[in-house]
Amino acid sequence: MARTNLLLSALPKRERLDVLALCEVVQLTFGTVLCEPRRPYLHAHFPLTGLISLVAGVDGEPAVELTMIGREGMLGASLLLSVDEAPQRAIVQAAGTSLRLEAAALRRMLPESPALSRRIGRYLHEQLIELAQTAACMQFHPVEARLARWLLMTQDRVPGDRLQLTHQFLADMLGVRRSAVTIASGALKHRGLIEYSRGEIRVLDRSGLERAACGCYGMRHA
Amino acid sequence: MHTASSMKESHDPSQNLLLGALPREALARLEPALVLERLELGTVVYESGDVMNEVYFPTDSIISLLYVMEDGRSAEISVVGREGVVGIALFMGGESTPSRAIVQSAGHAYRLKGQKLRAEFDRHGAFHHLLLRYTQALITQMAQTAACNRHHTIDQQLCRWLLLSMDRVNGDELTMTQELIANMLGVRREGVTEAASKLQRSGVIEYRRGHIRILDRAELERRSCECYAVVKRESDRLMQDQAVWSKDSG
Repeated sequence: MARTNLLLSALPKRERLDVLALCEVVQLTFGTVLCEPRRPYLHAHFPLTGLISLVAGVDGEPAVELTMIGREGMLGASLLLSVDEAPQRAIVQAAGTSLRLEAAALRRMLPESPALSRRIGRYLHEQLIELAQTAACMQFHPVEARLARWLLMTQDRVPGDRLQLTHQFLADMLGVRRSAVTIASGALKHRGLIEYSRGEIRVLDRSGLERAACGCYGMRHA
Repeated sequence: MHTASSMKESHDPSQNLLLGALPREALARLEPALVLERLELGTVVYESGDVMNEVYFPTDSIISLLYVMEDGRSAEISVVGREGVVGIALFMGGESTPSRAIVQSAGHAYRLKGQKLRAEFDRHGAFHHLLLRYTQALITQMAQTAACNRHHTIDQQLCRWLLLSMDRVNGDELTMTQELIANMLGVRREGVTEAASKLQRSGVIEYRRGHIRILDRAELERRSCECYAVVKRESDRLMQDQAVWSKDSG
């Protein structure tokens, strides 16, 4: 069954078709940087099966993930703000397909597409909530609970129960050292919630993982 | 130096930089609906989850946006002063506010009803453009704060926080308790006390009975992490563009 982008599928038919007519389906490759902070967006993306992370970095420290974008959302929502530049770096977190639209084309469409503008505004609002929540979560919650939350959020956005992830990548997402991820994932594995080998993590017990996650999971993104 | 009474007489919406950047006609449309309010330290302007009916344009107050977790602990995600507006969710299409807005430094703000805000916003003129630009600056601030909280020391964060706060009021003094700063930074009070004492001993700030005064701004900038400069550069750039875009030529 063809997967859809949920932000687009919520649009009235005419506006949806207008957007789709300008989109092309592209393959997202793991680790590709799609935009850099304070540089113009080239494209907006409406992921189908791929997953994109927005990350922020500070001098020399590992970056941290602020929000993730899957088929529920889009990359480039801030184009609605009449600013061409991206606020954060976007990096492909899980390979898959995406509907790609030129940033300039989206900018041109927005004034004539009230439903699209409203949807994007609403989505941007949700992204800001997630960003704020992630900031607080990072500060207070133990790595193990954050890792569980992160795996659940990822699984919500990509098909299947297998996630291609290395410990180093997880460390970058969570903003911690790799050794901390090794300890946290070891604990989740020991409890029979996940298993992993060679850069692949499989979720074995989703409800157990939900119990292991901090309260931040499911507060708004259940 | 202003006395309390001269401050009272000198209020004007254009002391808020967003309102001040509006063309005269746009400000004139909003002005009858702008209500000046005195905001006391620690007042909760919005509670997280509240349905929002109003926005606030600070002039000489600072309002802090905190994300509150289920267990009640909170972390500051952004700070809003005369450069901004509290309540962006209202024009972004969110029904309720995701954060708690609390007065971090006493002063004044102009309150505007959501309906009036929407009416002017929907004209797609300067007001619309300004608020969107400001939202982008706020996103940058939130993202940087998140990364900063994760990686930087309390000493660095306190410097960043003092600089951002000072920029948001027109002066070099803040009325502030260490308890409140600890809440903002999401750290224990002892951590703030220690960091503040270091700054005081080095002659960077003076802290007396809830008043913080900056003595050596350059040194404060040197001791801050880069996060202050990143946020400032981006918001200056966006504000600059705004001013060019929206000011009357005459």
